Amino acid sequence: MLGVPLVAYLSLGLFMFSVGVVGVVVRRNPIVIFMCIELMLNSVNLTFLTFARFHSSVNPQTGLAAPSMMAGQMMVIFVMAVAAAEVAVGLGIIMAIFRLRHTVDIDEMNLLKG
Amino acid sequence: MENGFGSIAWVLYLPIIGFLIQAFFGKKVVDSMGIAAGRRVMGTLAVLPIALGFVIGLMLVLKLSAMEPAARSVVVPLFNWIDVMGLRLPFELIVDPLSMTMVLIITGIGALIHLYATGYMAEEPDYPRFFTYLNLFIASMLILVLGNNLALLFIGWEGVGVCSYLLIGFWYKDLANSKAANKAFIVNRIGDWGLTLGLFLIVALLTTSPSLVKADRYLSYDQMLPALQIALAHNHGLATAIALLLFVGACGKSAQFPLYLWLPDAMAGPTPVSALIHAATMVTSGVVLLNRMHIVFEMSPTASAIVAVIGAFTALFAALVAFGQTDIKKVLAYSTVSQLGFMFVACGAGGYWAGMFHVTTHAFFKALLFLGSGAVIHAMAHNQDMRNYGNLSKYLKITCWSMVIGWLAISGVYMFSGFYSKEAIIGTALANTHANIEGYQLGQYSGWTALFVAFLTAMYMTRMMVLTFFSGEERWRLIPAKAHADDHGHGTDIAHGNHLEAVHEHGHDHGPDVHGFFYTDEELHAMEHGDHDDHAHHELDETHQPHEVPPSMWFPLVCLAALSLFGGYFMSHNEVFRDWLYPEGKLPILGVVSAEAEHIPLVLYSSIAAFGGLIIGGLWYMRGLPKAEGWDESKWNPFRKLAGRQFGFDAAMVTTTVDGGAELGRGLWQGFDVKIVDGIVNGSAGLASYLGKGISWFQTGYIRMYALMMLFGGAGILGWFLYAMKHGGVR
Repeated sequence: MLGVPLVAYLSLGLFMFSVGVVGVVVRRNPIVIFMCIELMLNSVNLTFLTFARFHSSVNPQTGLAAPSMMAGQMMVIFVMAVAAAEVAVGLGIIMAIFRLRHTVDIDEMNLLKG
Repeated sequence: MENGFGSIAWVLYLPIIGFLIQAFFGKKVVDSMGIAAGRRVMGTLAVLPIALGFVIGLMLVLKLSAMEPAARSVVVPLFNWIDVMGLRLPFELIVDPLSMTMVLIITGIGALIHLYATGYMAEEPDYPRFFTYLNLFIASMLILVLGNNLALLFIGWEGVGVCSYLLIGFWYKDLANSKAANKAFIVNRIGDWGLTLGLFLIVALLTTSPSLVKADRYLSYDQMLPALQIALAHNHGLATAIALLLFVGACGKSAQFPLYLWLPDAMAGPTPVSALIHAATMVTSGVVLLNRMHIVFEMSPTASAIVAVIGAFTALFAALVAFGQTDIKKVLAYSTVSQLGFMFVACGAGGYWAGMFHVTTHAFFKALLFLGSGAVIHAMAHNQDMRNYGNLSKYLKITCWSMVIGWLAISGVYMFSGFYSKEAIIGTALANTHANIEGYQLGQYSGWTALFVAFLTAMYMTRMMVLTFFSGEERWRLIPAKAHADDHGHGTDIAHGNHLEAVHEHGHDHGPDVHGFFYTDEELHAMEHGDHDDHAHHELDETHQPHEVPPSMWFPLVCLAALSLFGGYFMSHNEVFRDWLYPEGKLPILGVVSAEAEHIPLVLYSSIAAFGGLIIGGLWYMRGLPKAEGWDESKWNPFRKLAGRQFGFDAAMVTTTVDGGAELGRGLWQGFDVKIVDGIVNGSAGLASYLGKGISWFQTGYIRMYALMMLFGGAGILGWFLYAMKHGGVR
């Protein structure tokens, strides 16, 4: 595993994040936008894990990292929990909008237009 | 209470009690006792307090006259009124010759007029309301003259103003009456503006003058007047300012040019009101004010000269206008304005006692003339146009002969009361040099003017009397058909120059019966079945038969006629009235003011004026109504037309002040309010909206735009952090 260099992980994360951003900006289906957001979140998770892994020293006897070095992994758990909650709320909002307007095209929802 | 003058309080309390009884129980009593009996009870209860007050006043005058002349000023404290932070104004009454003279006039003439009103208003459904106002008026007037400081005077001043307003608009269901009441009230406000400024100036002077030791009750007359004399001794400009401001107030209340405008319109009120308020008492309060504050006027010859000139001009102007009036009460109203001008001529010349003397005699004969005219109006189906009268001496014997005495008195015929007071006024004006501006003897010019006006007075009063009582034909039988129509408000209004008068031409003195349609069915029913007895008036037509008025109405006439006949003689005999009001030393600056002009045979001149006026007027009108003053007003000669319109003055005032004020208000509204104030508010809102529109393209409403913005924003912040970390900006 350590054979894979750091830059590869970060490049993958950057690629995933870019795909997510472009998806959010160009797609009109809110479900797809959600997926793109998930993609961005996961790219961030990947980045967290990568840095956590590469920056922690491992106990040679147990082969485990010290608990004080687990902040990156903890962050990932948090992000996943928040993402789950966000998806639940977001899908609810989308359902409500669909019931109201019989469409979920994101460009139709421009009430904030000045 | 002290000195045994405490009973003066009852003179004041009695009308207040009367007022409360009338106000709170009047209607109930009339309703429960039946109209006739109830009105008799309430009428008695209205007259009684005033008559009792007169008796008390008379006793106090006797007591006061027994004292040393210098000591005749007693202060009767009633209660503590205002006491805050060094300002102490006790409610106290002053008993001195000036106040007691006025008390006798107010209660004496007032009681007679109340008695008269019980007869005159007998058919009035709102009987208790009338006497409520009338008693309240007497109480206010008493506060005005009896109060021992200018704040109390001001209370009375405004109180009589309110009562005047209420009584002019007594028949308030007629719009013209309400307008007349408003006019009186509003024009008086202009005078009050001057009065209050004068009061403030006096208070400011007394509280800031360093040379004065501030006394405890420093606004009470007995302490204020000497203090004013000290404070103003070296400041004649300030004396002139205070005097002129007080005179503005006096002009308003006493109907002097140019604030006289309200008085002729005030004739819309019931005739007893015209007699009591608008002839005998309230309108003289300006003269009372000048007498009370005479020290200020003594110190300012300039202000005195202005007072005299305004007085003389008012006298002349009103006398000329009186020639163009056809309404009997309007003639008397202008005559009142004119006579008030005489009083101010006297006050300007320094003859304050002469002014008060004329107040007194004028109260006698003008009340008499007004009440007499009320009797005539009563007998003539509430028609007030003199052109419809004539030969009434045959029908109204008592009224006629008592009015003849009033006529001779106001004309200044020798031995009648008006002769003595006019003599004193003109004599004082001609003999003194007090009223001058830089050597121009304006007081003496005013005196000569007054002498000429005395001639005019005799003439227009003769016109009124002859047209009403003598001059052969009974003209109400001859009224042309068109004139009949005129009487009901569709005629030309040449004689009634301003729109206000034109409107209420049909009003005349609204007797209850002529204008029955002003009353509810219930009231009409009550009148038909109640006391609507032998005064079953009808329209004035060929068949009309005038009747003499009931005793309650002619008794006051006879009393007043006796006073007009003898009062002047007794008061001027041995100068009792002058020594009573202004004993030696009462005028600290002028000293002795002589009323006898040397080198001028004034008795001769004024007799020529009086008899000349009587004879010319008599010859002119004895043969009946001249064509040039007839029913057809378009055939009047130019002078009458102009005089009938007050020489356009009223119209000019209405145009400049009322219409001009409305125009100014409209201009301000449309120019300032709409354009500038609204412009600022709407403009700032518009600016914000314009700016918002300018950048609102930025708000596309597309979510992706917001997402991109967030991205750029986040990247920007991160970038800035990186940059800052790299260059050590943030640690």
